[in-house]
Amino acid sequence: MIVRQRETITAKVLLILLMLITVLPFVSLFVTALHPSGTYPQGISWPSQPQWSNFADAFTAANMLQLLKSSSLIVLGVVPASVVFGTMAGFAFGHLRVKGHRWLFLLFVLGLTLPFEGILTPLYFQVRDMGLLNTRWAIILPLIGLFMPFAVLWMRAHFVNVPEELSEAARVDGASTWQLFWHVHVPIARPALSSLGILLFLWTWNQFLLAIVLVDDPGKRTMAGALGSFQGQFGTNIPLLCAGSLLIMAPTLIVFLIFQRQFVTALLAGSVKG
Amino acid sequence: MYAIFVLRPMIVSVQYSFYKWNGIGASTWVGFDNYLRVFTDPDLLGPIGNAFKLIVFFSFVPVVLGLAIAATTRQIAESRLASVARTVLFLPQVIPLVAAGIIWTWLLSSTGLVNQVMDAVGLNSLTRAWLGDFSTALPAVGVIGAWVLLGLCTLLLLAGISHIDPALYEAARLDGAGPWREFLSITLPSLRQEIGVCVTVTVIAALASFDIVYISTQGGPGNSSMVPGLEIYYQAFTERQVGAASALGVVLMLLVLLVVLPIQWVTKERD
Amino acid sequence: MSHHSSPARAARLWSTVAAAALVGGTVISGCSAPGADPAAAPTAAAGPTQASEVTCGTDPVTMKGYFETGFPLPKNLTDEFTKQFPNVKWDVREDQFAVITQNAPRVLSDDPPDLMRLPQVSELVKDKLLLNLDNYAKAFGWDAWPASQLAQMRVSADGTRGTGPLYANGLNFSLTGLFYNKELAAKIGMTSAPTTLAELDAVLAKAKAAGITPIDQFNGGATGGLAFPLQNLMAAYGETGAINDWIFQKPGATIDTPSNLKAAQHLQKWITKGYFADDINSQDYAAMMSAFIGGKALFIFDGDWESGNLDKQMAGKAGFFLMPPSQAGGKQGAMSAPLTYGISAKSAHPDCAAFFLNWVATNQTAREITVSVGGSHPMGPSDAYMPAVKAGTVTAATLEAGAKVGKDNGAMDFIANATGAIYAKSWTPNLQKLVASKQTPEGMLTSVQKDYEAQIAK
Repeated sequence: MIVRQRETITAKVLLILLMLITVLPFVSLFVTALHPSGTYPQGISWPSQPQWSNFADAFTAANMLQLLKSSSLIVLGVVPASVVFGTMAGFAFGHLRVKGHRWLFLLFVLGLTLPFEGILTPLYFQVRDMGLLNTRWAIILPLIGLFMPFAVLWMRAHFVNVPEELSEAARVDGASTWQLFWHVHVPIARPALSSLGILLFLWTWNQFLLAIVLVDDPGKRTMAGALGSFQGQFGTNIPLLCAGSLLIMAPTLIVFLIFQRQFVTALLAGSVKG
Repeated sequence: MYAIFVLRPMIVSVQYSFYKWNGIGASTWVGFDNYLRVFTDPDLLGPIGNAFKLIVFFSFVPVVLGLAIAATTRQIAESRLASVARTVLFLPQVIPLVAAGIIWTWLLSSTGLVNQVMDAVGLNSLTRAWLGDFSTALPAVGVIGAWVLLGLCTLLLLAGISHIDPALYEAARLDGAGPWREFLSITLPSLRQEIGVCVTVTVIAALASFDIVYISTQGGPGNSSMVPGLEIYYQAFTERQVGAASALGVVLMLLVLLVVLPIQWVTKERD
Repeated sequence: MSHHSSPARAARLWSTVAAAALVGGTVISGCSAPGADPAAAPTAAAGPTQASEVTCGTDPVTMKGYFETGFPLPKNLTDEFTKQFPNVKWDVREDQFAVITQNAPRVLSDDPPDLMRLPQVSELVKDKLLLNLDNYAKAFGWDAWPASQLAQMRVSADGTRGTGPLYANGLNFSLTGLFYNKELAAKIGMTSAPTTLAELDAVLAKAKAAGITPIDQFNGGATGGLAFPLQNLMAAYGETGAINDWIFQKPGATIDTPSNLKAAQHLQKWITKGYFADDINSQDYAAMMSAFIGGKALFIFDGDWESGNLDKQMAGKAGFFLMPPSQAGGKQGAMSAPLTYGISAKSAHPDCAAFFLNWVATNQTAREITVSVGGSHPMGPSDAYMPAVKAGTVTAATLEAGAKVGKDNGAMDFIANATGAIYAKSWTPNLQKLVASKQTPEGMLTSVQKDYEAQIAK
């Protein structure tokens, strides 16, 4: 029993240490953001007069409302479409087992490991030729495509486990495939769908590479992309930069803290299946 | 959608890689010249080597540390502390990688927290501008990646551990096994799949890293922290060597597959 | 037979179609070689030849601008322009210079701005992305300005810069040298600007001995700011003409010369003696500026675009002098370049953009803004109106230095401008290696020359 207790204490200390390492960078950022604008603070030190106004300044300087709007529009463009396509294709793969699904499936599995940079160059010229450069579509459309492998495999993993009898029963009742899909399978897939939605939201919101390559106007980028140009613009002013970075992180952090349980489940499950 | 925005670019990437093109004017067919460049030009080959070095930090460190932490905290997995930890450890996963890059650029600067801590514990001879030093820039980038991925790995492994039948541990205790034996004979084998997932996810993150490097070092100083993703970006849009950029892209795609498939094969065997 | 197909078969069919739609289709479209010859863009000069015909008209116009972040001058000028010509509105996007350099070709061709901050123009001209401004120059009489003001923006048919048709204009022309902190200078007894390189060395040594960081310079990430002191040293040891030939891509020009080697060795000496802040390889431009303004270094090598800023943020505490010559009384050189702005060959409002460029150089209020906000010398004829500047300010010092460089004919373009990629891919990594003792002065010059030749051959 003594051994047990000592192990428990070690475990607790370890966990706390790990949390400290995780949180300390955020604290450093926060404290720095409170220093007088334009100064060059050293490490972590509480300023004599915390400048809460830095946050307000950064809010206007970064044009936060515009950024929020832009990111939300992009998320709205990407997530629902990806979820719908992913579900339909996942259904086809997982439940209907269409002809040739094996090699099609392999194609998607390959796509899962694809580093975005690998197709970055042709993607740029393709988007340019479509006349979509510098529009939000330049981020939305490729992202839907790039999320396909994950969305499809995620939903397939769900549909594979749905008992065949359910479909048989529905068919006996005279349901068409379309009805079967919408009225029987989609409702039971709800938990899988919401997790998928959460993951895609996060990945879209934080997408950086496509944003900086395909869209030059920070006002039309994702939050992460805008953060990149914010660094370029306010690199001279470290407290303001820190305040701006915190503001840009705030939306996902808030959403995360509200839905933390769903997030953790989704992310854990997401990595396992991915 | 998948076809237009993923498969077509993949194929076009292969096509571009056989040409010399500046993105604007006419192109010329150059056969395998671009691939030859990838494997001979140190500007292109170096980043690939760096990506593999990053695997140590992005992959090895989080997985090993994660395992150690998960194994020791197994007994308190149901406690309040652990559920708080679950939330806290996820924070780095939720913020954009760019933000992690900005935070750590500040922490690792010559006046940042890292040096402040080292001064405080008497290591002031070691303090430096971590991201601006040839020998430490790449490891410093690696540390940022390790910070981002450590929480994820720990939680994944912890979740895996909680699925192990406690009776196995009871039996081991009765046989007089110490914690180390327990770890080797029960924890490690049972976690094979979770470890496989961790390694796969983190290895891809290392090979395809872009955001963190772009923000913190831009590949410098010299080319000491250049990675393939960033080099593709530079080749395509600064040097306007679309062919070379595409060739490097193709190599990167194949590389990821080459590394990931064996990992999958080894760890999924059980199923 | 087909009329009694089972539901299951229909379902299969339907799903096959769905899956095929997801995957098939456009995969194998067009296997022809990418790119085409540049469209027959106007290589001849555009625009009317009468100044009175080149205006912004009276209808509402929205001009698309692409400017550099961190420099308030263009914005101040466009605001004033809108005040004087209310029908013209500006839709301006900003980026850091390094980003603009990367983006320039694709932005000019894919999202053409009416007025854009440009990096080195020769490759943009080769790809026919910039508007030939010769007719505007004729119409407005720009040809009568001192020739050196526009030389860097002329590109001849064979690709050398310095002569030929004009492809851009400046908002002002800037000058680089050493800025110093007057308080720190007083502490080590530097009462006047050093007059020779040896005197400067002595000041640096004194500062180092007094525990003051002698020089701060940005040299981190993608920025090789040591190119500033390096080129100043090159000018102190050699002829500025030869350096310009190299930058302008004159056939046979080389950077790997004995006098440049001496300059590079001198720079290395500064590095090994610890005259630079020890974290310069991690500092970007912004970090250097905040360190200098915060009194953390005696000198920075920088340009007069900071004059106005320093007069505000370090009022009375900052000074400026040109790089001293190696021999007392010798000629002084300095990097001096127009703040280059050009018009896309595909611009929707080229006349209005040209009219704006002329207005910046000739309008009295515009010239006042150029000096008070930008701190640099306005473009235009040498006898044009010059606003009064308060004595003792950095701005006054830089304008005066400009006159000296003009007299010595010491203006040089920046060695980072020789080709589009020479700075990011060659000077920057080499200079960063020099700082870390991973490159020798000889090795650096050879390596840069090799990259230069490879890039020109492209």
